[in-house]
Amino acid sequence: MLRASLKSLFSRKLRLTLAIVAIVLGVSFLSGAFVLTDSLGARFERLFTSINQNVDVQVALSDDGQDADPTPRITQAQIDAMAALPGARSVSGDVSAVGVIPFDREDGKPATTSGAPQIGGGVLGDDPFALVQLADGRWPSTDDEIVITRYTANQTHSATGDRLRVFLPEVNEAREFTITGTAVYDGDRDSLAGETLILFEEGFAQRTFYGQEGLFSGAYLGARDGVTQEQLREQVAPIVPDGFEAKTGEQANEDAASEVQAGLSAITTYFFGPFAIVALLVGIFLIFNTFNILVAQRASELALFRAMGASWGQVTGSVLIEAVLVGVVGSTLGLLAGIGLGLGGSAALTSLIGAQLPGAGITVSATPVILAYVVGILVTVVSAFVPAIRASSVPPLAAMREVNRPDKPLKALTIVGLVFAVPGIALLILGLVGSSLTPLLFGSLLTFLGVVILSPLLTRPLAGVIGRVVGWGMSGRLGVRNALRNPRRTAVTAAALMIGVTLVSAASVLGESFTRTIDQTINQSVGAEVIIQTNTTGGPPGEIGFPDRATEQVRAVPGVDQVVPLYVSIEARVDNAAPPFGGTFATDDLAVMRDMFSMKAVEGDLRTLQPGEFVADENTFDSRGWELGQSVPIQLDKGAEQQYRLVGVYESTPIWTDTLVLPKQAVAGFAGPLALQGYVSLDDGADTDAVVDGVERVMADYPLVTVGDRSALLDQFDSFIDIALGIIYVLLGVAILIALLGILNTLLLSIFERTRELGLLRAVGLNRRGVMRMVGTESVVMAVFGCLLGIILGVGLGAALSSALIERDFLTVIAIPWVSLIVFVVVAAVAGVLAALWPAWRAARLNVLQAIAYE
Amino acid sequence: MTTATTNIAARAVDAWKVYGSGEAQVIALRGVDVELEAGHFTAIMGPSGSGKSTLMHCLAGLDALTRGQAFIGETQITGLSDSGLTKLRRDRVGFIFQQFNLLPTLTAEENILLPLSIAGRKPDPDWYKTVITTVGLGDRLGHRPSQLSGGQQQRVACARALVAKPEVIFADEPTGNLDSRSGAEVLGFLRNSVRDFGQTIVMVTHDPNAASYADRVIFLADGGIVDEMLEPTAEGVLDKLKNLDVTAGGA
Repeated sequence: MLRASLKSLFSRKLRLTLAIVAIVLGVSFLSGAFVLTDSLGARFERLFTSINQNVDVQVALSDDGQDADPTPRITQAQIDAMAALPGARSVSGDVSAVGVIPFDREDGKPATTSGAPQIGGGVLGDDPFALVQLADGRWPSTDDEIVITRYTANQTHSATGDRLRVFLPEVNEAREFTITGTAVYDGDRDSLAGETLILFEEGFAQRTFYGQEGLFSGAYLGARDGVTQEQLREQVAPIVPDGFEAKTGEQANEDAASEVQAGLSAITTYFFGPFAIVALLVGIFLIFNTFNILVAQRASELALFRAMGASWGQVTGSVLIEAVLVGVVGSTLGLLAGIGLGLGGSAALTSLIGAQLPGAGITVSATPVILAYVVGILVTVVSAFVPAIRASSVPPLAAMREVNRPDKPLKALTIVGLVFAVPGIALLILGLVGSSLTPLLFGSLLTFLGVVILSPLLTRPLAGVIGRVVGWGMSGRLGVRNALRNPRRTAVTAAALMIGVTLVSAASVLGESFTRTIDQTINQSVGAEVIIQTNTTGGPPGEIGFPDRATEQVRAVPGVDQVVPLYVSIEARVDNAAPPFGGTFATDDLAVMRDMFSMKAVEGDLRTLQPGEFVADENTFDSRGWELGQSVPIQLDKGAEQQYRLVGVYESTPIWTDTLVLPKQAVAGFAGPLALQGYVSLDDGADTDAVVDGVERVMADYPLVTVGDRSALLDQFDSFIDIALGIIYVLLGVAILIALLGILNTLLLSIFERTRELGLLRAVGLNRRGVMRMVGTESVVMAVFGCLLGIILGVGLGAALSSALIERDFLTVIAIPWVSLIVFVVVAAVAGVLAALWPAWRAARLNVLQAIAYE
Repeated sequence: MTTATTNIAARAVDAWKVYGSGEAQVIALRGVDVELEAGHFTAIMGPSGSGKSTLMHCLAGLDALTRGQAFIGETQITGLSDSGLTKLRRDRVGFIFQQFNLLPTLTAEENILLPLSIAGRKPDPDWYKTVITTVGLGDRLGHRPSQLSGGQQQRVACARALVAKPEVIFADEPTGNLDSRSGAEVLGFLRNSVRDFGQTIVMVTHDPNAASYADRVIFLADGGIVDEMLEPTAEGVLDKLKNLDVTAGGA
């Protein structure tokens, strides 16, 4: 039996190839994510190993120490004590800070990196661990001297002897320094991972970064010959100050690498996850359909097996064995493609970082391999299960003659479909009424499944209407009739396309609603003409942004009426619960902010806040069950928990939902003292462009801060949504590709089954073009049918989600992106034509005589 | 299109058809010369492998001769392109096959009008009514083929061939899949269309009884015409066939 099914398997390579493609795509995205993460992780591990070469023990802030306020430091005396340990050969105190950003000498703009840290450090002379070496010049010896790495020099177009402007964190200002030398890393490397590094005289660095000389943020120790890393660590441990911990060099590398890897894995999962899911989901339909087709084509062969005494189980088994083989081949190819994807992705990311991450080849751990095979085989076998059962029900009589097996009635299908769809819609309504997301999401899922199952019922009415539009002439009408004659097959084929279109339509509705909402809200309620923003990829709010002194300078710019600086904390725990989703804000005068943002008081008063007072939006107020005048404990980023009294509640709007506003004094407890955003209103008749220029001059010293008018802000919001939609459109592309294969597959089967009909049509005078048009029309009807189902479902789900978000004040309008939806239909129709090309060509080339000849 | 000087609807001149090559070579037609008169019902008979179906396919423009010429009326069809043949079949030839004769997605009426729809022509309403009445399908026109009996299906196929008024109708074992009563109905109908409307019909069959409905029977054996019979009877045809089998078997 196995032999027989293997033989028949190889005789149908083409059709199975189509099924395999779906598995290959899905598995490659899945395994690619893992391979990419692992390979980049390995590169970072090499990176940390090279940073910590010769370091045997590292003393660094512990988790507790990182949260403590003020941040603990190590004193010179403690460094000396470590140096006096019997196992220590050398000790080096660490003086460093991130966010030290140089300005390009050519254009005066900040030289930022794409994600790599921008480091400043203090040096006394040669690095005892020889990681950094002078390439030319000398080490800095005064407050206004620096040494920069060669990469930094290249990025800023500067060289030894030049003056270089550098932004210093903590003091939050830009100063000019003289470059006394350039440095390279061990092995003559310009940079380790695309970071910039500026080295100051140690005393200056300590005063700038830590407020006084003689303080260090950590220490590196080298062991004497014969002393192991662990032995040295045990010697250091008792004298490590509070808030610090000692780790062996190996341990430190491992911890640092695994932290980076966790971050990478989150990114790759979010990026590749949806692709893998969509590809596999669509693949299930494709495989299901393929196996159905194979079973239908092989009916007489299977019946012969049965007639010769093969059992029910053997026939089912033979189909399932095929499925396993398809799964294995698909998984293998998918894994290889995934490794390629990982290789390409890692190369692309490395070049994006723009630096020489140490190469470590490609790392393929066991996880992606096991996952690839488990998922690939499981998906194939599950999809082939129903066709396998169907195969076993072929009556032995079918071997002898054509047994007409009419389509099963759709009654059972209807019931099953309704079992999903009815509770699904009920949950959707429940979710909308109760404005809770969980029933809404489950409802969407159930409704989706219900419609998938019910889609054969919709084939005749919906595809019939489509057919009336696209079925021109006799051959067009015949194509439409062919699409309608097997509703199940048409529906399953179309469902593959429907999945992708549903996702994209729903996302488009959400995206369009967000764009409109933001446009409306900002235009109606933001009174600022000039807006100051900070690129938040540069660090946590508070540590990046602009200082109060810059706010005062902006207030002095001619034409400026009012300025509202916004300080943001994203980690404040409120009332012993999670931070508010919209953020915790502080500003210097709530009364000015109220006018700037047209905030309306629902309860209490929106006046200038006194220390210990706060206001919140209505949604937060309601959901947390507060009362006006109540004291609420708030734990800010730093310092002890403190009671704040609720003195006012403002109306929730899309930009002010789930938010709190604290008085300026609370900023002391934020991650840093900087304001993240500034909103500037103008005097009557002031020239916006002139004010933008004036504010830009003030902000020129703060590397991550940008200044723009209101339309610049809108563009920025829109570009976020466009990026999100862009990813989703790529997703649609993948889904359409797989769906195309499904249509191709179905058409090939139909042509095979209707050989005689085609022969008859040709005999009575239908020319080749007519045949091709007939097949093309059938294809377009299926594709547009799937697309329309997807659009109806997607717009419905998108609108439901949007209205739930309106309920929570994230949105104000539901907007339907008509243009995009029309584009989807056109794309589907074109896809239908493309899918039909080859089958239509085959149908047209059919030998008329062979088609009508009878045995 | 049939010219006044001749009443030949289709003819073959020194028609050769060779399949395969070398050891596997099969010669289906060996220089057949035949003329089929217009307004007649001609049957082509012969044992299996005699080349009767091949001859019909080549005359109808479904298959190409290896050597020699085939004509419909005065049009030489040998050497026509695929589109030329398609146009010829569409406008000048009708077909009735043994089975799978109708499109299952179309109603009986749509099937009947299919060749005209493909050609983009409208049926002559009077002629259409006549055809429908003759085949006796008046109340079944809205049915799908799956709702019709085998005999009814074949009558629909006959109506389809007739309604376009082709120069010649080729029927390939039209009664092969029918019980004798339905078969007799279809054959009677074909004969009547020749007598009453002057239709030309060429029928391939191996059933002597079916052949007896024809005006003339041509006998083929081993790829060549061996005999013919005018105004045949079933018994006469059967006797001829027996002789043929003996000679073919003996050869």
